[in-house]
Formats: sequence, C-alpha cells, structure tokens
Amino acid sequence: MAVDPLAWLSSATGVPYWALRAVAAPLLYPGLATFMAVALFIIWAERKITARVQMRVGPLYVSRRLGGALQLLADGVRIAFQEIIIPEGAEKWSFVLSPILAFTVVSLAFTVVPGGPGVYGFRSSLSLLVTYAIITLTPILVITMGWASNNKFSFIGAGREALVSITGEATLLASLLAAAMMYGSMDFVAIVGEQAASRVPGIAANPVAALLFFIAALLVTDRVPFDLVLGEQEIVQGPYTEYTGLLFALTMALDYAKLYVLMLVFTHLFLGGWAPFASPLLGSAAVFAKTVGLMLLAVFLRSVYGRMRLDQVASMFWSRLFPLALVAFVISALIHPIYTP
Amino acid sequence: MASIALPGMHGREVGYSGGLRVVELNIGAQHPASGHMRLVVYLDGDVIVRVDPDIGYVHRTVEKLSETREYVRIISLVERMTIIDACNVTLPYVEAVERLLGVEPPPRARYLRTILCEVNRVASHLYGLGIGGIFLNHSTMYMWAFGDREVFVHLASLLTGSRLTHTYPVFGGVRRDLPQGFRDEFEKAKRYMLARLREYDKIFFNNPVIRGRLEGVGVLPRDRAVALGATGPNLRASGVRYDARMTGYAAYGDLGFEPVVGREGDALERVWVRLREIEASLEIVERALRELPEGPFMNPRYTKAVPPMVRHWLEKGRLKLPGGYVRLKTRPGEVLSRGEMGRGEITYFLVSDGGTKPYRLRIVTPSARNVVLFDALARGHTLMDLPAIYGSIDYFPPEADR
Amino acid sequence: MATTGGGEEEKGGGHRRRPGLVRAHLDAIAAAARRLAKPPMTMPLVEYGDARHPGYRGVILFDYDKCIGCSLCAQVCPSRAIKMYRVPGDKRLRPGYNIGRCIFCGLCVDICPTDALSESIVHDKVYSDVPSMDMDPVDWALWSREVKKEEESPEKPLLRARVDPERGLVYEPVGEAEG
Repeated sequence: MAVDPLAWLSSATGVPYWALRAVAAPLLYPGLATFMAVALFIIWAERKITARVQMRVGPLYVSRRLGGALQLLADGVRIAFQEIIIPEGAEKWSFVLSPILAFTVVSLAFTVVPGGPGVYGFRSSLSLLVTYAIITLTPILVITMGWASNNKFSFIGAGREALVSITGEATLLASLLAAAMMYGSMDFVAIVGEQAASRVPGIAANPVAALLFFIAALLVTDRVPFDLVLGEQEIVQGPYTEYTGLLFALTMALDYAKLYVLMLVFTHLFLGGWAPFASPLLGSAAVFAKTVGLMLLAVFLRSVYGRMRLDQVASMFWSRLFPLALVAFVISALIHPIYTP
Repeated sequence: MASIALPGMHGREVGYSGGLRVVELNIGAQHPASGHMRLVVYLDGDVIVRVDPDIGYVHRTVEKLSETREYVRIISLVERMTIIDACNVTLPYVEAVERLLGVEPPPRARYLRTILCEVNRVASHLYGLGIGGIFLNHSTMYMWAFGDREVFVHLASLLTGSRLTHTYPVFGGVRRDLPQGFRDEFEKAKRYMLARLREYDKIFFNNPVIRGRLEGVGVLPRDRAVALGATGPNLRASGVRYDARMTGYAAYGDLGFEPVVGREGDALERVWVRLREIEASLEIVERALRELPEGPFMNPRYTKAVPPMVRHWLEKGRLKLPGGYVRLKTRPGEVLSRGEMGRGEITYFLVSDGGTKPYRLRIVTPSARNVVLFDALARGHTLMDLPAIYGSIDYFPPEADR
Repeated sequence: MATTGGGEEEKGGGHRRRPGLVRAHLDAIAAAARRLAKPPMTMPLVEYGDARHPGYRGVILFDYDKCIGCSLCAQVCPSRAIKMYRVPGDKRLRPGYNIGRCIFCGLCVDICPTDALSESIVHDKVYSDVPSMDMDPVDWALWSREVKKEEESPEKPLLRARVDPERGLVYEPVGEAEG
C-alpha cells in the first residue's frame, strides 16, 4: 500500500504520527471496532459450529441470505433495550463499575499488541509483559462482581474465579516466559522479526510452550472444558448471575475480549505473527486470519467436552501442566541459538 | 442452629451441624439444572453436608383422579405421569385391570406391547443420557441423544399414531396392529442406533473430562442400594440382579430376558448400564418382530360385540371398541402389578369394589423410590458432583410427584 | 443377553477400560469433527409443514350425517373434551368438541359405532382465544369439512420423515413420493 492513511492524516491536521497511531490502533485495528466485528463473527461461528456438530442448524433466520450471521446484532439490540436491574442489597457502585472497568482494562491491551507490521499503539521492549499484566488485572474485578452482587451463587463463583485465575495465570506466565526466553526479547515486534528471519515459527521450535499457552488461555477465558466460573449447572451464571442488559453484555464480551487478546499473543509468539508478509495490509490480514483461526479452534472445542471438576482442574494444572512448563524452559534454553539475531 | 446475618450475603448461614459450619444453598425451582424441584443443599465450603429434595411441584393428584374415572379413561391419565415412557407406565395398570376383568390379551397383542415397551425404553434412556450430558455441560451429548431419540419417537408414532402419548395397551389387547413398513424402519433404526452408540462412547463415555466427572462419584454399594429401595439401572449398576421384566409379563417370558447388571455402583456404571440396556432393548424388539405370532390383536370377547358396520377397521388393523367398553365392571378384589420402566420398577395396587371406577389406585413410581438417592449419594461430595449425581440417577420429577 | 460388569479384571480393565489419555482426547475431537461434514437432522419448519404419516392421530373430525347420537364418544373421552348438545330441530343429542381439552387419544374414534368420528392427519391448529376452541356440533361439522379440504391441499409444502441408517431421519417432500 503506497499511502499510509495515518501519515496523510498527520500531515493534513498537524497532529504527530505517533499520537494518531496510539489512538487508531486501540480503537480501530486491532482494537475495539475490530473486536466488535470479531465478537459478532466468532459468537455466530460458535453457535453454527456447535450446531453442525450436534446435527442441527443454529441461527438462520435473522439474515437468511447470510446464514444468520447478523444474529448477534439482533441479540445485542435486544440486550440494549433490556432494563439494567441493580439488586437492592447489592453494593451499587462496585456492581455497576466493575464490569465496565474490567472491559476497559482488557481493551488497554490493544495499545501494545500489534495487529500487523507497524500497526500498533506504541512499541515497547516489554510489550509482552505489559499485555500479561493487563490480563491479570481482570480477575480481581470479577471477584468484585461476585461479591457485590449479594447472591450466594455469585459468591461461590467469585471463589472459583480466585482459584481459577491463580492456577491459569501461573501456567500462562510460565509458558510466556519460556517463549520470551527462547526469543531473548519481550517485544512483540522483535519476536516476530526473529521468527521471520529464522523461518521457524515458535510452535515448531517449542510446541510444549505453545500447547501450555493454549490450554492456559482456555482456562483464563472460561472456555469449555474449563468454564467453571460460569458453571451454569451448579451456580447459575457465577459472578455474572445478577447482571442484566448492557452490563451483562459487557461481562460476556469480557471473556471474548480476553480470548481475542490471548490469541493475538499466541499468533505473535508461536505462529510467526505477520510472517511471511511485510507490508502493513497483507501482514495485518495474515495476523487477523491466524487469530480468528485460533479462536475458531477454541470455540470448536466447546462441542467436544463437558466441564471439568474444580479440584481436577487445579490438580491437572498444578501437578501435570506446570511441571511441563519446566520442560518448556529446558526446550527454550536448547532452542535459543536458532533465534539469536 | 444459629442464624447469623453476614453483610452482603443473601440467605442465611445456618450455623453449625456436627462440628461443620454450613451454608444453605437453594438449587431452587428456578435454576438451570434443578428440574421441576428444589434441592436444598447444605454446604460446608465446597463439601455437601446434606441434601433435602423439595419435591411436589408437579403433583397432579393422579391417584385421587383415578377414583373418579372409569377404567378405560384412566389409561391416558396414568400415562401422563411419564409421557416419555408411555407404554411402560400404562402397561402394568392395564394388566392389573385385566386380571380383575378376567380377560387375557392374545399372544400377538402381548408381543406388540413388548415391542412398543422396548422402543419406549430406548427413547427414555436416550432422554436420561441427554439430561446426564447437559448436567455436565456436555451439550453435544444432549443434542445427540435427543436427536437420536427422535428416530424412536418416529417409530412409536408409526405404530400407534402418536409420538409420545400412545395410549396403546388397552384391556384385552392393543389399539393398532403392526403397520406395513414398520419392520424395515425398525431395522434401519437399529443399524443407525448401534453406530451412534459407538460415537457416544468416543465423545462421552470415554471422554477423559466426562470420565473424571463420573468415575467414582456417587458410589452406591450393593447392600445400601437394596436397603434404600433404589430401583432400575441405579440398582443394577450396584450389582443387584433384579429387573421386573424377569417376572415374565407381556412377552418377556416367551422371549427370555436377561438383565444388564453392573458392578462398581458409581455414576459411570449407571451410565454404562443405560447404554447397554439400549442395545439389549434393540435385540428384544428384533426378536419380537421375528417371532411375532399371527392372530388377532384384541381379545375376541370385546371385538365380537363391535357393530358390524365398523368391523372393517379390525381387518385394517385399527381397533374398534364395543359400546360397553366404557362401563366395564371388574370383580371386587385387590391386585398388585409391577412393570419395569426405563427408570425402574413401577407398582400399581388396584382395589376394586365391583364398580366401573376403582375404589383405590395406589401408584409407586420408580423416581419416587429413587429420590432418596439424592441425600444418600451426595453427602461428602463437592457441589460440582451434585449435577453429575442427579444426571446419573435419571430422576424425573413429574413421575415422582404423580 | 446377559451382561455382567467384568469378572476379576484388574482395576480400570474390563467393560470400562478406556484407551490412553491422548488417544481418548483425539477420538473425542475426531468424533465431533466428523459430524461437521454431515447434514443436519432437523426439519426446516418455517418454509415447510410437517406431514405425519397416514394414520397419525391429529384433530378429530365429525360427520353430522353419520352420527346417531349414542353419546359413547362423550362417555369415553378421558378429558371430557366432547359434550353432548341439544341442537334445535334435531331430536337426537349431538357431540360438540372442545379442541382445547382434547388430548388426541382417539378413543372416541375407536368407540364410535357409525364412523361419524375420524382422525385427521392435520395436527397443528392455532387459536387466538380460548372460547373459540370450544365448538358446538354444527360448527364442528363445518370445521371438519374445512380441515378435510386442508388435508388435500395444504398451505405449505409438506415434508414427511423417514428413518435412514446413516442420517437418522431424513425428510422427503410429500406428493412427489406418492405421485
């Protein structure tokens, strides 16, 4: 692409290029606008894929020619009109503000995670760590949601979120660190550059770390078989039980936003990011395609598994997956020479 | 029990029980996984201390209503207790009245009743497996089981004219003869179902996540199962070799029947027994179709009184009832009859004073007997085991509440 | 068929033995993935109607001329959906039909000595208020004639279910198969 629209805008309005980029990336691509489109698509895809596996059709009639693709738009409009009910005994401000804060915090991750070559909010040598730190800020807000709801089911859900987040994020951090150790850098742009230069994607170099990251991402984003925090058959909707209307939509979007961010990170760490393309347009398309493909895989697993029990999740992660992280570290140490610049 | 109000907590902390601090949780009537009932669960942290099932939401006074209806009008009434298993729930009642009337169904009718009973049993087990699946959040098992159940509901509608509420066995025989094409449709359905059972094994029974939820959960030892009065696959999974079909009612005596018996007594075993019973039922239907005797499908005592103008229906395989059928009078007496439904053994105790309506009809349904298993099995398990146990004992509230 | 849960197999063996962990996971994923390629088993009920097979117990139809007023149908109905009415100008009692109470058991059809009552294949009727579901004998007879016409020329194209050993149930358009 010859003309960079942001550069043109910068020269037209006099606003510095970095400022425009810092705003455009989190808001447009890979940020909120793209996330809305991705959420619309992926939730429809989840329902369609699950339906096909289950010998039925899924959403169809909302936009018949598109195969029901705009179903989520209809659902969203309906949810927007639903009354937001705040229970009388609930801690009002925590109840209302925590989902909003949680979603805002996750959206901050879009400032550092690149969507393509040169398409990022700002570049930092610690962008991987910043992303991880932002993801780990959300559990405390979910626990707040559970406590503020004044509902026993929400309270149990908050307890589960505490357990789940400690377990999942430890494994996530371990696999992240193993990957970072392999590349010798915590900067997404540098990591992708190294994978492109050596032509070995991270998943081929360290498949153990990739697998661990994927499974931990499923746990952190509350996806089947680890959807304990939601736990519909035991605790109704967990911490989100008392939420209605747009607040409920935010809580559901929160999980999908985390999944989107984590799959973007997976793409950069293990699938080579925007390699083999270098231009912003094609590179962004490559990143987008890989991320959506990963999300589709995560969503397909919903039709295969049931829910795992709480103590089994904890024991599986701590006694089997976390030690595998040590194996991942060893592999990283051995593979590291491939990626030295 | 002390009552402490915790700020920010809905409900009450119930205090101390046996040295444990317990919290009362209503898995109440409005809950995604409670069915038409409430389970009052007492929890110590994550461990269940006691479960009190609060049943009766679907009580429809079936026993009392039976005292105000003529015998033939009660068949549809008792069928509504467990609509999904219609032939199995009405057949023991029909047999009880037949004993008091002194009439016997012809052999062909007995075999036809058995065929429908087993088709219903397959559908009922698929329903139970589906519910067991969704209680573990395995939506694929749920949809697959209910989708495959459609095949058997379709078969039942071919035979009786109705998908679920067949009202098929009547006193003296059955209401319709075997239609053309039923044998072919059944043979195809059997091939389909056997292939599907292999798929169920792959995605549900051998699925490591599901195994983890079901293996070793809710273990019911053999002597406890007998002492509690558990019935159906729950009893047989604990190693007790008892099935009401062993008494040989309908055509089970002629066909020879062997029950499916498990050993371990945990939730996985109960699911296993149901899967194997589906295979067993398919075998029984195939054998019954092969050995189906010729002859009338209704006792001539009643068909000879049918007006000549409508007798042609009998040749076409549709029943016509004589006018006196509504006001059938039984001899005075008491009779106890049993049958095996999908969920267990059902018992009818019919007391007649010689009139056209029963004096008393006492019904004990299998789910009414299995409800004790909630408390017996769930104690000591975690909260997440409760839906697994509920799904594995296949409790059906409308049947239990009558 | 006697099936007992294993003899003296070791723990984890016998009828509950499961293939190894990785194999079991892959089997489950493969089983789900295989289904993705197969067509659904559902019937598109918006564009099509559901044709049941001949002999299905749908709504009950009444032929006024054949009826002799014996009132056996009203006596046998388990839910008292049929009541006898005195129609002006007719010396016999005639049955009226409350389709809201009907449970479609068909006992009235079985007991009618003159074939005045018959079952229709039409089974889904919608009413906007409860009193309109209660029909007196003349209304019932006229309504039955309309339903008979509907049987012959349905509003929507109809699909009929058939068992298939690969796909479970398949649906075929009615009319083309019969010719």
